[in-house]
Amino acid sequence: MDWKISDLKELEDKIWRCTACGTCKVAYEYGPPTRSADICPAGAEFGFEGFMASKGKIAFARGLLSGELNWDEDLLDAIYKCTVCAGCQSQCQLDHKPFIPEIIEAMRRKAVEDGVGPMPSQKKITQSLRSYNNPYQGPRRVRTDWTRPFKKAKRPIKDINAEPAEVLYYVGCTGAFNLPARSVPVATASIFQKLGVDFGILGENEICCGSTAMRIGDASEFKRVAEENLHTFQRLHKEGGVKTIVTSCAGCYRAIKKDYSLASGYTEALDGIKVIHTVEFLYNLLKEGKLPLEGSIPWKVTYHDPCHTGRHLNKFIIDEEGSQLWKGAYIGLNEEECLYDIPRELLKAIPGIELKEMGRIRANSYCCGGGGGVMTGYGEWAASNASKRISEGMETGADYMVSICPFCHYNLNEGAKRIESPMKLLDLVELIDRVLPSLD
Amino acid sequence: MHARNKELIVKELQSIVGEKNATGAKHICYAYSYDLSFVKPKLPDFVVMPSTVEQVQGILTFANKERIPVVPYTAGTNIGGLTIPERGGIIVDLKRMNKIIEIDPEALVAVIEPGVSHAQLAAALAPHGLRFGWPVGPPSASVSSCAISHGIGGMNARYGLQSQEITSMEVVLPTGEVVRAGSCAINPEAWHSVLPMPQLDGLFKGWLGTTGIVTKLGINVHHSPPLLKIFTVCCDNVDDMYSYMLNLSNYEICDDLTGVSWWLAQVPIPYPYKPKPEKDPEWFSYATTYSFTQKEKESKEEIWSLVLDQEKQKGTSIKETHYPEEALKARTQLPSQIVGSTKNYCKQGGAGISWPGTFTPAKKWAPVYKKWKEILISHNLSPSVRMSMYRGVHYGMLRAMIPFNKQSEKETENARQAIVECLRVDLDMGGIPYKPPVDFAVEINKRAHQGYLMLLKKVKAMLDPNDIMNPGKLGF
Repeated sequence: MDWKISDLKELEDKIWRCTACGTCKVAYEYGPPTRSADICPAGAEFGFEGFMASKGKIAFARGLLSGELNWDEDLLDAIYKCTVCAGCQSQCQLDHKPFIPEIIEAMRRKAVEDGVGPMPSQKKITQSLRSYNNPYQGPRRVRTDWTRPFKKAKRPIKDINAEPAEVLYYVGCTGAFNLPARSVPVATASIFQKLGVDFGILGENEICCGSTAMRIGDASEFKRVAEENLHTFQRLHKEGGVKTIVTSCAGCYRAIKKDYSLASGYTEALDGIKVIHTVEFLYNLLKEGKLPLEGSIPWKVTYHDPCHTGRHLNKFIIDEEGSQLWKGAYIGLNEEECLYDIPRELLKAIPGIELKEMGRIRANSYCCGGGGGVMTGYGEWAASNASKRISEGMETGADYMVSICPFCHYNLNEGAKRIESPMKLLDLVELIDRVLPSLD
Repeated sequence: MHARNKELIVKELQSIVGEKNATGAKHICYAYSYDLSFVKPKLPDFVVMPSTVEQVQGILTFANKERIPVVPYTAGTNIGGLTIPERGGIIVDLKRMNKIIEIDPEALVAVIEPGVSHAQLAAALAPHGLRFGWPVGPPSASVSSCAISHGIGGMNARYGLQSQEITSMEVVLPTGEVVRAGSCAINPEAWHSVLPMPQLDGLFKGWLGTTGIVTKLGINVHHSPPLLKIFTVCCDNVDDMYSYMLNLSNYEICDDLTGVSWWLAQVPIPYPYKPKPEKDPEWFSYATTYSFTQKEKESKEEIWSLVLDQEKQKGTSIKETHYPEEALKARTQLPSQIVGSTKNYCKQGGAGISWPGTFTPAKKWAPVYKKWKEILISHNLSPSVRMSMYRGVHYGMLRAMIPFNKQSEKETENARQAIVECLRVDLDMGGIPYKPPVDFAVEINKRAHQGYLMLLKKVKAMLDPNDIMNPGKLGF
């Protein structure tokens, strides 16, 4: 497969579209009500302009391209101290806006190509990918450990390689290997079983989506797993009748929807297959009256928008040919694919739930702090950033924070523990599983 | 600078502000070496981020002892290269001093630290029904830097310049002492006025950070009347626009009274120059008014209609017009990150924007504009000019926002030459540039009264005997 993954030089013209105006530094809404808050986790933590939103990262990109900056430990560290959350991108209004995360990741790709990246602590991610096909150094047999309760309850989950199913539940490595996040696949599979969805999993044959490799700049490892996955999806569709790939993992969802689309054979590989996040799958059933929610959960909850299911799914409108404004002009964006309303609608549909919104939501959601390889590379900072988000959630008076990403799940719970907060993060599927009538 | 010395200086700075808040790393310094303007990038040697007044004192005392240049920095959003170090040294990034110390909704005074952004203050004032005159700049820009640099805002026609809103200040001198000007100098709790004492705040306003670091600033804030009415007109030439603005300004009903040329009314500004369609008017104006009651609003409408009639009777080409809604929002919903950001004007150019930004007698606006138009078009640049009337006087801001392609040295130099040429024209007609880059300072000094220059140098030498504060920015 051919891939359209840009190198830094190819993005040079975009890099020079940044004025360094600093609009990217603050999440600001004119309102009413008028709101202003930090948006860049790295900027808030480290402060210097180099760390501050896209303004600083673009400076590094300029310097690397012009030869005024050369790799050293400190520069490398600064480039990896970014969650690639795209909060800065949401603020920017200039022509390079659509390319900001791409520019940051292109610097990381250059670092990897030049043999200096990623950070030493992140190298184990790609080493693990090569050895185990997952970033957690987990033997493949462990990948299905979360399914044990189902076997025990004599409700085994189909192995889609052995038994055909219409829906492939792509679990993702975090849900499978990260113990605290295993509640996410457990709840997802439980819901599907209760609803009678004909689904199966790849089990021990599932391999990583490659998202983490892409985020830290290892494009070759990303391409390897992505191509293998695309071939698997195509085979399952042709041979097993898979029509839908559903995932509860925000990172996998973004990777398959967005990163994989950079492959030349993407459209053909996914021809006849719909890729959908679990919450959208459930929301569609809710609209059709096929999601019976019973009982009550009398909790006040706040909702955290993951970057991967939110602004990362923006579609940018660019005047490629210069027919409307000028060549390469940023015209606007389409948020149609961003999962902002759907999780909220589902939450509101759960009897007893009271949704209390934080100040920074939707496109201005404040990153949990774990993305972009930061959880592995800078665990302490990732958790301290999550603590900030948990504190923001607590200010709403909510008892729980809810999200739809196993990565956020793990990191925000770490953040809560760090500040001894009573607030806990739950995945939306965990709540829905509670109010879906049991099979018995 | 010798590496060993550099290491020792970083250690010293870290002992003042903490290890994580001082660095000499090249990539960090690089991010402070350029801005939007045509000013050539120059590297600082160090960057520090103090969070207390005592730390600022520590930095300045050390820098003064070691004769190391110091450049105060808040957001770096000016377009005159004001924080690009002429002689290296230490950038003092004040973004961590960002507390809103007090908002007194009864006295209509706020006390802020230098790192407070427009967005931050706007969000804090809104619940009180209060506002400040936000400039057409990014939300992250600093309130205090704009005010002490005589920046303009959206209420200039009603309350004057941002610097006229200053009520008190606390400053750390280049030699490390903390000083105060205004009422807070007599009573530390009183931040309401710089008068009736000698206006020592003048020692730090308009000096481009060359006399000290302002660490607290008292400013007037204002009630936000609920009823907005914007009067928009257009006309065929700058003389007619001047006539209209002069007439309307006499009634003092506007918060903002501004005229913009066709090229500036386009967002973004066309780059390179493109001719205006013949049928389009050359000038537009928006006059922003706020009223507390419907009756007050109607009275303002009556006055405006009267002015419009008078202008028509004079035979001018002034007529009421529709101003594009998005562009209008940019002028009224401030601070704004959408079209409100001045920096969005330069989208088409590509990264660069600079200006001849001046305070010019209103009666000279038309002749200056005509010359600027010739100069700018000859450089293939748009004559994207704005004229704004200040409070109750017949002078105001006259500026041209000039985008350019910063990736190209040739195009950057072309813009610089055109802008400096424009500035000379304005200076010769009595205008004075504000937030001037060094190129402008040199032109000012060429024309300055010798007594003025002598006084300027004496005051500077008194406050900053070792010339460490943003050296070179005053053009000497």
